[in-house]
Amino acid sequence: MALPLIGVLLAAFGTDTADIAGRDIARYALTSAWLALLVGCLTAVAGTIAAWLVVMHRFPGRSVFAWALALPLATPAFALAYGYADLFDVAGSLRIWLRHTTGHDLPFEMRSIGGAAFILSAAFYPYVYLAMRAAFLNQSVNVLEAARMLGCGGGQALWRVALPMARPALAAGVALAVMETLADYGAVQFLSVQTLTTGVVRAWSVYGSTVSAARFALPLLAAAALLLWVERASRQGATHESGKARWRTIDVQPLDGVRRWLAFGFCLSLLTAGLLLPVGWLIWNLAQTTPDWERLVAATRNSLFLGIAGALVTVVLATMLALGTRRLPIAARIASLGYATPGAVMAIGLLAPAGLIWNLAPGSGTAVAIVLLVLAYAARLMAAALEPIDAGLARVTPSMRHAARTLGRSEAGAAFAVDLAVARGALLTALLIIFIDVLKELPATLILRPFDFDTLAVIANNYALDERLGQAGLPSLLIVALSLPAVIWLTRRIATARPGD
Amino acid sequence: MTDGPVLELRDVVRAYPGRTAVDGASFALPSGGITCLLGPSGCGKSTLLRLIAGLEPVDAGEIRIRGQTVAAPGMTTAPEHRGVGLVFQDNALFPHLDVRANVAFGLSVMAPDARDARVTALLDRFHIAHLAAAWPHMLSGGEQQRVAIARALAREPSLLLLDEPFSGLDGHLRGAVRDALLADLRAAGTSVLIVTHDPEEAMMIADNLILMAESRILQTGHPEDCYHRPISIAAAQLLGDLVMIDAIVANEMADTALGRVKALGIADGVAKLAVRPDAIVPGETGVTATVSAARFAGRFYLVEAFAADQHVTFQFAGKRPSNGESVTLSLRANACVLIERCSD
Repeated sequence: MALPLIGVLLAAFGTDTADIAGRDIARYALTSAWLALLVGCLTAVAGTIAAWLVVMHRFPGRSVFAWALALPLATPAFALAYGYADLFDVAGSLRIWLRHTTGHDLPFEMRSIGGAAFILSAAFYPYVYLAMRAAFLNQSVNVLEAARMLGCGGGQALWRVALPMARPALAAGVALAVMETLADYGAVQFLSVQTLTTGVVRAWSVYGSTVSAARFALPLLAAAALLLWVERASRQGATHESGKARWRTIDVQPLDGVRRWLAFGFCLSLLTAGLLLPVGWLIWNLAQTTPDWERLVAATRNSLFLGIAGALVTVVLATMLALGTRRLPIAARIASLGYATPGAVMAIGLLAPAGLIWNLAPGSGTAVAIVLLVLAYAARLMAAALEPIDAGLARVTPSMRHAARTLGRSEAGAAFAVDLAVARGALLTALLIIFIDVLKELPATLILRPFDFDTLAVIANNYALDERLGQAGLPSLLIVALSLPAVIWLTRRIATARPGD
Repeated sequence: MTDGPVLELRDVVRAYPGRTAVDGASFALPSGGITCLLGPSGCGKSTLLRLIAGLEPVDAGEIRIRGQTVAAPGMTTAPEHRGVGLVFQDNALFPHLDVRANVAFGLSVMAPDARDARVTALLDRFHIAHLAAAWPHMLSGGEQQRVAIARALAREPSLLLLDEPFSGLDGHLRGAVRDALLADLRAAGTSVLIVTHDPEEAMMIADNLILMAESRILQTGHPEDCYHRPISIAAAQLLGDLVMIDAIVANEMADTALGRVKALGIADGVAKLAVRPDAIVPGETGVTATVSAARFAGRFYLVEAFAADQHVTFQFAGKRPSNGESVTLSLRANACVLIERCSD
């Protein structure tokens, strides 16, 4: 799994042919940093408030919002970018209508760092929301009641007790959102915001230089390692607390008059920004296009194939890793580095070994490319699979394993009869998460896919780059349609799961 | 069931880096009956249990079960082939299986009919038949334990090991739950080895005791023998409080501040006499002592006093003695559990 990372490091120190100045790398890095900072702040605030409202208060639609707020996970960021860019386009109908009726233009522009930050935040706030929701649900009610007894009101309890206790979860959720921001290619590329990841893809596709691409990738790798460290370190803090806290039902506070509609409005606007508005706009626009069905069907087939193959390979590898690394935790740590690593970087790292294989067996092009692509998915998404599987396996205590041994099972037999059986729900969760992520994946697919092998994400991107947004809408919507059932199943499962059950 | 010991340990050693957990343990477990392995926390008794179950290898010595060597240096029979049942302190029920499936877990090679019959019989024997379809997290601690024991007995092991089985039970129910469970276990007829750190419990339930402290086996024998005739101060302390009294031995008689007792086989010189607190009797005759403290302990007061310079602790059933009050104390006949010569 570490192979692509080593590939990037080796490639970065080769001789350059494309002559991209270090100044460019610095400029792109600055943009990436700005974007990461903005998205980090926006998702932290929006995700935390939403989670606190949903967990602690009663207001209209709460039980639906509890899981629906995570639904934007089904929409690829580039789909949001297409929707918003078109909706707020300078020559778009909304702006024209506004200019005519009010005489003023909207004071913002989607094709900017600010616009990109807004779109990526709308796409990635669910990471923070889910992490904070779990943290608030797991918090010890006794501690909150103690805060009450010591004179903290509801709002104060959030600031002084619940938030500090949930800080590990906040750090982990924001780290995930920032990782995704740095890894995003489709949205920022379309919005003409030049980040390190667009740099990687451009250096490779325009200049054909693996070396330059790898140099763009190096700061991304460093940031990835840092974020991963933040995420892991904060998770260690999280387990201390939730392990001991005695779980009781949180008494949900009803909100009064205006506040309940404010809470409702806030949650609805998050959902609107992340899903309803852009997806609705894309659907609205479908009417004006004549889709190329043949191409779409082929791409859907390819996407499904890659999604299923990627999910199976990743989960099998992750399960072996999870079972095998109990004695060697550092191996899982290295394998997880891939999650923070943008897919574009992963692909560049795999290009060198791929070149070797292609030279040795030139006829094997398509098959090898697909195998490499699945490997890239596995490397990139290993941690996303490892996390639920590890959590599922954590329910198996050493004594259960030993009990299975004294009851006549061999070591492998005990792993199947106890470990995997207990963790089967977690395995399914991991499969679905990987499936969704593969469907949405763009940069690694762009770089590694065989010739004439398009996925839905790839043709959406191609249409969008040709400014045929109406055409780009349909493949984007197909991705949403394919992943939405899985996301709904996952989030409903998360919403109903309680630590005490 | 009476032919030879079911379990034999010979000089078993288990060492971790920087620490020897089990140091030369030797004992034999007679077939049938309940044996308690008693020792303080961290004395190595849980490690000993894991060695017997086959969850850890031995570094030296030998373990034999029903005459078969199952562990020796470089040789470890896997736990699944030892015919030993182990009930874990946390019961370790499988959360994804209901009670019936948990009990049937070890019987996967049996024919379904025979398996069902055996599982049903076990559920009945341990009075959990009504829980057959319940999930582990729905059960109380006592019910979980019964399931765990039934599960361990399903494979008809020649030896059943229980790790601190009663420590998780509620105080006021503990005695009743324990007695009912032990009756069911005796009825099942298996040889049982129970690890515990509670001396009163161990003496109450065991047919045989194994005393362990600081990685070593101190003494084995019947509970009464171990209590009244301990072979060392350390062994005596495991089973209850001791009062240490200075003595001078001459002609196999020991002179103490509380009177004279027999000291058969002890050479002349300075010695320490160990007695149980209930062997120091307040009464009409004896030595005068001054009370220094009294603590209420339910049926009696636990009183500390000085007879000359000798500090003693005894049980007093009357009105609470006040500090400085004088009491008359004597040593009961056969009071002494042990005399140890002090090194000169």
